[in-house]
Amino acid sequence: MAGGDKLRLIVVTPERTLLDEPVAALRFPLYDGDIGILPGRIPLVGRLGTGELRITAAAGATSYFIDGGFAQVLGSTVTLLTNRAVPSKEISAADAEKQLAEVLARVAKTDEETTAKQVDQQRARKMLNLAQKSNS
Amino acid sequence: MAKARAIIKRLKAVRNVRKITRTMELVATARFKKAMDRATQAAAYTRKISEIVSDLSNTDQEKGGAFTHPLLQQHPAEKKSILLVITSNRGLCGGYNGGVLRLAQGRIRQAKADQLPLEIEVSGKRGIGFFKFQKIETTASYTHFEDKPSFEEVDVLARRFVQLFVSGEIDRLDVSYTKFETMSRQKSVIETLLPIGKLTTAESEKTGPKVEYEFLPSPREILEELVPASFKARLYKCFLDAAVSEQIARMVAMKSATDNADEMIRTIRAQYNRARQSQITSELSEIIGGAAALE
Repeated sequence: MAGGDKLRLIVVTPERTLLDEPVAALRFPLYDGDIGILPGRIPLVGRLGTGELRITAAAGATSYFIDGGFAQVLGSTVTLLTNRAVPSKEISAADAEKQLAEVLARVAKTDEETTAKQVDQQRARKMLNLAQKSNS
Repeated sequence: MAKARAIIKRLKAVRNVRKITRTMELVATARFKKAMDRATQAAAYTRKISEIVSDLSNTDQEKGGAFTHPLLQQHPAEKKSILLVITSNRGLCGGYNGGVLRLAQGRIRQAKADQLPLEIEVSGKRGIGFFKFQKIETTASYTHFEDKPSFEEVDVLARRFVQLFVSGEIDRLDVSYTKFETMSRQKSVIETLLPIGKLTTAESEKTGPKVEYEFLPSPREILEELVPASFKARLYKCFLDAAVSEQIARMVAMKSATDNADEMIRTIRAQYNRARQSQITSELSEIIGGAAALE
């Protein structure tokens, strides 16, 4: 759908409303993979995963890193509730690498620790990927 | 009649105090505005969460399955509980800390009377000092929540509480803080955050036309994530409310202190004028008396 920005994207973190702007299309990670939203989508409530939020608007494409939360699509409004949203440009690869190394060095003994480790590991990897992509 | 010199000294001291209280009032006003902005912005998140919850529970009820979550469940016997007391790091804010601590003390006394173990966690130097003075033991204390608590910091606490509650180590979590109601009304309250009594708030229950949503994954699984998120948002709101209320309390306290200082300056100045007058009169009469003696 070329031309108009027909969707309204609202990104809310517990601390503040980060974004509230018209967009043409967006893509973000759900719990099991990426989902793309175009105008006219049927209402949806979903659980967010960790990864990149890509926004396509008339002004150009922007990208954020989001970490868990919920998505609601209702009419032309897309609301993303997320714990953390950072513009991809602000993620430093060095920091992400350090985090990944830290997670990898952690020894998990119980089941919960193993799951937590896996989740953290995935998060760090995705952050690293995104950082490398946006900086290159 | 006091000496004019001494009165002037006092006048200067009061003026200095007034300068300080006036500045503090202005600082508190500026901080309050910022804290208020933060609280309103954060409200969007809470509102949205309860909106999704009500969307979900609508569909869930249709399927005939009442949703249960470990955080929603009341434990059969209430044994151990945690009381989180949120106070300020700084003083000079009127009855702000007093109100919260008085309520907390009531809760502690009640727990003692019922012989139930109660762990006390305090945030803020004022509260820590108070419990130390009262010789009441606290299990944890935090001083890093200033007037802008960040979600990440609160998240750490929230995660621990959730974990303790789910594993059954605690049966209840109370938070004693100052709730922000309106600009001119803040109330110290004790709220039970765990188990979560009701997920939906009154306003979110009357939703408009029902929407058929697509759920990814199932409503049940989304709720499973949503309940802890809702708890975290609530705990975060407690801290934000406390921060806003603290600034308001300080603003009000400093305003009345400044007014009081103004009043005092007025009386002291009147006193000084009278003292000066009588000094002049007595000097005059001495001179006249001396002149008369020479004749």
